[in-house]
Amino acid sequence: MIEEPYRWVEAIANRREYIEDQLRLGSPVVLLNYADGLLLLTVSRETCKIFEIYDRVAFAALGHPADIERMRLVAIDLAHTEGFNRAAADVSLRRLVNFGMSPALKTAFEQVFSAPYIVKMLLVELGDDSEQDSIVKLDYDGSFAHSETETKEPFDALAGGNEAQKAMLDYLVEHNGNPRRTLEDALKLAAKTWAVGMDMAEQGQDKTGEATEKREIEPEKVLKEYLKARHVEAAVLDRSRPATGKFRLLDEKEIRAALKDL
Amino acid sequence: MDHPLPIPQFLHDGDFLSVLKAHGYEIAPRLAEAAAKFQQEMSDGGIATEGTTVLAVKYKDGVLVAGDRRATAGNLVMYERAEKLINIDERSILAIAGVPAVAFEMARVLEHSFKYYQRSQLQEMSTAGKVRSLSKLLKENLPLTLQGVGMVVPIFATYETADGKDSGGKVYFYDALGAQFEGVDYAASGSGSLAVRSVLHYLNTWGGKPLAKYNESEIVVAALRLLDTAADSDTATSGYNPKSNIFPTVRVVTKEGIHEIPESELGRMYRSEV
Repeated sequence: MIEEPYRWVEAIANRREYIEDQLRLGSPVVLLNYADGLLLLTVSRETCKIFEIYDRVAFAALGHPADIERMRLVAIDLAHTEGFNRAAADVSLRRLVNFGMSPALKTAFEQVFSAPYIVKMLLVELGDDSEQDSIVKLDYDGSFAHSETETKEPFDALAGGNEAQKAMLDYLVEHNGNPRRTLEDALKLAAKTWAVGMDMAEQGQDKTGEATEKREIEPEKVLKEYLKARHVEAAVLDRSRPATGKFRLLDEKEIRAALKDL
Repeated sequence: MDHPLPIPQFLHDGDFLSVLKAHGYEIAPRLAEAAAKFQQEMSDGGIATEGTTVLAVKYKDGVLVAGDRRATAGNLVMYERAEKLINIDERSILAIAGVPAVAFEMARVLEHSFKYYQRSQLQEMSTAGKVRSLSKLLKENLPLTLQGVGMVVPIFATYETADGKDSGGKVYFYDALGAQFEGVDYAASGSGSLAVRSVLHYLNTWGGKPLAKYNESEIVVAALRLLDTAADSDTATSGYNPKSNIFPTVRVVTKEGIHEIPESELGRMYRSEV
């Protein structure tokens, strides 16, 4: 019966609803530029959600851990075979997403009889200078948005639901300030933005369908509450690193020092 | 049903060669190709090149690795600016002696294998694992070595910091068949290595203080003198070439990573010490 076009559309719509429902409460991810490069931050319970893909490419995601892991390995395999067969300079985020991951995800999404990938991703590539940095959001259905053409901003936010995502982006636009900020300042702003997004995601869960009016919250307080059961996870792509690999996971001490007087 | 994503269905063990294999790349034929090219060029009397003297010595802060710049084919000097040291990761250097075509292919495979392992497994490969990877590549190259066309005899120098512990500099050398040996204080390879090893033994035993106590500038001067000594008797090794201002490559691997000694500093040392 799925052969009938109408049924197929219905099946896809159900699938979409199911996935988005699963993703809604996922811990958001914040991407923010700072003086030496790009910072990725999230607050997680246990599993790591920010990863290195290649010398200048990093990956953060929310969704089912097993699906995140699969997509991460797909990206790593594609990047490393390309880097080996051609050169490190030929590994580009645009090609990785547009020609590799996106078509594969779309195919997987439309096979309604197999389990879908429950995952939303944010991929970033560090350019030679901040003008050439590139950010892509890639969805479970293979659709993607490049910062060059869409937001044109050197920061971004990824959340399970659109409301939370919008709240975070609004917060970032409002508090953006100096793009040459230090890593410490970037950590503070990113952590607060995360709190805004997570709070919105959980509030959205409580209410019954109605759009909330803009809530005034104190991100610092909200963040402190969350940090009782979770920890901040952050990584940078750092242009000033002498090694070819620009990715570095920040250690707990560094993060705690930056966030202690919030 | 075929899986829509190119996802490994087996347990992912971080082995880059098996990923390459899935994409149709086999290491042995590639090495054979490189060696065949070398043989062809040899028989044409053309541009086939061979490596010469490389050495690695442990000192106070880590390991020094140095190599001369001359590439030869038979009795001809082919190239005076060959690079024989290849950085494999943040704290490892491969120094090659033998056929560059094969050695560079090995270096490329190693570099990506280590990177791939670290990124997919989220931990760095152990030093023993890295050393073993190179040994496996040399074994793949065994048929060519036996034919006498693609022999590579590398040195692997690394600074071990895995698992947060700091075990200092390590030096490994290989025979062409892939057997690996750990050098206690130093290792040398290539046609000029006999002279270098003899002098290193002398210095280490009767030179006043053991090599492991040398500081950076002392060990760099020693390396320059050693390459000069090797060049004195071995035509396939070049020392400092003042006419065209060509210096050997000298790098140190320490806790902080790899640092190349700049030519300006080498020039100063040559003038005052060598």
